Amino acid sequence: MKKGAGSLALFGGNPAFTRPLSIGQRNFVGWDRVEHALRGIFSRRYYTNHGPLVQELEERLAGFFGVRHVLCMTNATIGLMIAAKALGLTGKVLVPSFGFPGTVQSLTWAGLEPIFCDIDPVTHLITVASAEQGITPEVSAILGVHLWGNICHPGELARVADEKGLRLYFDAAHAFGCSCNGVPAGQFGDMEIFSFHMDNMLNSLEGGCIATNDDNLAEIIRNIRSSYGIRKSMTVSVTGNGRMSEAQAALALLSLEDFPRNRAANQERFELYQKRLSVIDGIRLVCPSSETQSNYQHVVAEIDEAAFGLSRTVLTSIIEAENVGSPLYPAGSIHHHEPYRTLYPGLQEAFHQTDKVSSRFLQLPTGKHVSGEDIQTLCDIITIAREQAGDIRALLKVKE
Amino acid sequence: MIDTMKKQEIRDLALFGGAPAFDSIRSTSNLVTPDIEKFLGYVRPVYEHGKFADNGQLVHELERRLADLHQTSFCVASCSGFMALMVAMHVLAISGKTEIVMPSLTYRRMADIAAWVGLVPHFCDIDEQSLGVTARTVEPCINSRTALIMGVHPITNLCDIDGLERLSIQYNIPLLFDSVEAGWASFHGRMLGSFGKAEVCSLHASKLLNGFEGGYITTNDRDLADALRTTSRFGFREDGSLSGLGLNAKLNEVHAAMTLACLEDLDAQVERNKARHRAYRDFLATVSGLTVIPYDETERRGYKNVLVKINESWPLSRENTLTLLHAEKLLAMPYYYPALHTKSTSYRTVRSGSLQVTDRMSECLMLLPCGDFVSIEDISGIADILIFLQEKGPEVQASFEEIRET
Repeated sequence: MKKGAGSLALFGGNPAFTRPLSIGQRNFVGWDRVEHALRGIFSRRYYTNHGPLVQELEERLAGFFGVRHVLCMTNATIGLMIAAKALGLTGKVLVPSFGFPGTVQSLTWAGLEPIFCDIDPVTHLITVASAEQGITPEVSAILGVHLWGNICHPGELARVADEKGLRLYFDAAHAFGCSCNGVPAGQFGDMEIFSFHMDNMLNSLEGGCIATNDDNLAEIIRNIRSSYGIRKSMTVSVTGNGRMSEAQAALALLSLEDFPRNRAANQERFELYQKRLSVIDGIRLVCPSSETQSNYQHVVAEIDEAAFGLSRTVLTSIIEAENVGSPLYPAGSIHHHEPYRTLYPGLQEAFHQTDKVSSRFLQLPTGKHVSGEDIQTLCDIITIAREQAGDIRALLKVKE
Repeated sequence: MIDTMKKQEIRDLALFGGAPAFDSIRSTSNLVTPDIEKFLGYVRPVYEHGKFADNGQLVHELERRLADLHQTSFCVASCSGFMALMVAMHVLAISGKTEIVMPSLTYRRMADIAAWVGLVPHFCDIDEQSLGVTARTVEPCINSRTALIMGVHPITNLCDIDGLERLSIQYNIPLLFDSVEAGWASFHGRMLGSFGKAEVCSLHASKLLNGFEGGYITTNDRDLADALRTTSRFGFREDGSLSGLGLNAKLNEVHAAMTLACLEDLDAQVERNKARHRAYRDFLATVSGLTVIPYDETERRGYKNVLVKINESWPLSRENTLTLLHAEKLLAMPYYYPALHTKSTSYRTVRSGSLQVTDRMSECLMLLPCGDFVSIEDISGIADILIFLQEKGPEVQASFEEIRET
């Protein structure tokens, strides 16, 4: 166990983790089950084009979410692009700037203009007030994001969307298996788009799906996705390729079997982090909102530099040096990045909470590959960082 | 084949009450099955060591092997041929210009891909011999708005590589080849992959290499390869910063493993394809109504597809021919039908003059069953049906009219 600041890997100590500890979920099932499923595909010689496993997965997921339709996709970003086209959106769409770039990019590819909204500093979700503020006659939809698995005000946003005649849909990449006041994610808005990327709760390496209760919308999506799996041929504005392969579906089906166990283990890990970090000044975990039942797939912390004694940047370097994957979620405030930075120069100072959270948050590793012991070790390191912040600042000066 | 009995009478045809000639479907999809142990041998070590990653070691190895195969410096893997084309069009189109020149007789989603990247398809005609675009058919479509030229290789032959490269230089407009149907082909002895600015291939299960789903782009231009790579990964550069608009076109590791296993069998597969194609040519040699379009055997070819031209002396319409074959469980397909310029679209398209050859060729070509599910014996059976149709054409046609009346 590390003792002083000098024992941190950043200052030459041995890294605490001998193997790299990645941030994402990485809930892989045992090889034997994977091999069995892959051999099954070879025996059927049915590889893609809406095969039997994709059909089974769609059926099971529809049951899991409690929705009428699930449409599997190559990945969630393609799902979001197809969703925007299927909704027939025009003009502008409200979307948070804080998050993963694929969300906003999907709008740009669909020929739409994003209208960024600010977020709540506690939950990191857009606020209903900031969404309402952004509505103009050119806005045709709200794209809510269930960031970190926190369900994004489905009832209130639905009310706003109804009043203003807008479509409402959700990027639910983080929210597989989450619910809001007992209603499962998948049932909110006109549709929800899930990701099965290996960093998320359900893992098909890459993959995703759209869940909807709207029969017509589901058929439009099928017609855009591919000619395979169409139930009724329709004229659509543009087609794409969003097919999921049988290999992806096989992995997703196996991962679905393990969901209850993986979710419970995530919750245990979250509670252990919570127990250890709640006694440290200057660090706060982002918790599930009062209405969300979370999948706990993310452990996100915020650093208050004044109280913690070190900046988020310094703590990040300390953690990374111990052989932990980059704790910074890719991008953060999308409006500060290209092409949006050049497109919207006027917005660079506009979103105070988004900018504040962007400079304070970091992710901690969780998922099947992270043991309780790993969490204890990492929390020990964070404790050392807090307790010996002065020494660390001095060592950093020397290092410079 | 279950029924090795040749069709004797019109009523032996499945459409008119006979037993289908095949017990299961024969299609135009390749569906090559690599050695499963080789496939699992790629996946297992990576899986068991928890080393799956975005653009992980299997994708890296595949990109290296494909670059070797195509004799190019760079290869960027993609989750599909569709997304590879979309990314390549987006990166290559001259900014501020709006039109993309492409054939009309081609992949049915080609114009939609252009629409996704905000380009207006400008349809050009094709050459009757090769069925591909040439400098002569493309040049009338080039104007001050042209952002990109698509050199799409047709099925079986190649488009006019030299002529299009000349145009590209003369007008200073980038040239992107769609080589999806020309995988493993050569031109003047040089492997396809490094012509124009870049070339796109597919790894869909129906194509030469079965990666479940997938695609890739080859190029010799380092900056272009970097731009294609970052665009395919949400715009993220290697250092994690965002360079601009991107999306998710990543190929996953299991699909990469599948393709790697198929690559080990590629030479042998091409021999099998060649034998199938030769069998079609031999068995159909006496059928005057059908011409099997030959491959240029002086160059490398994949020989996967079997394209036939329906001549004047063929007694049936293509539609009726396909209906009869489908009833026998033979999923023969019309060649790229309908032509893109005849479809109504939600977006604007342009064409210059008439597309005479396109219109004519869109009615008289069909693809016959091919790929791993089709044996030489099957081809003999398929040929027997076609020979029967040629001989009994007028009677078959009369039976069609009878069922239409009833």
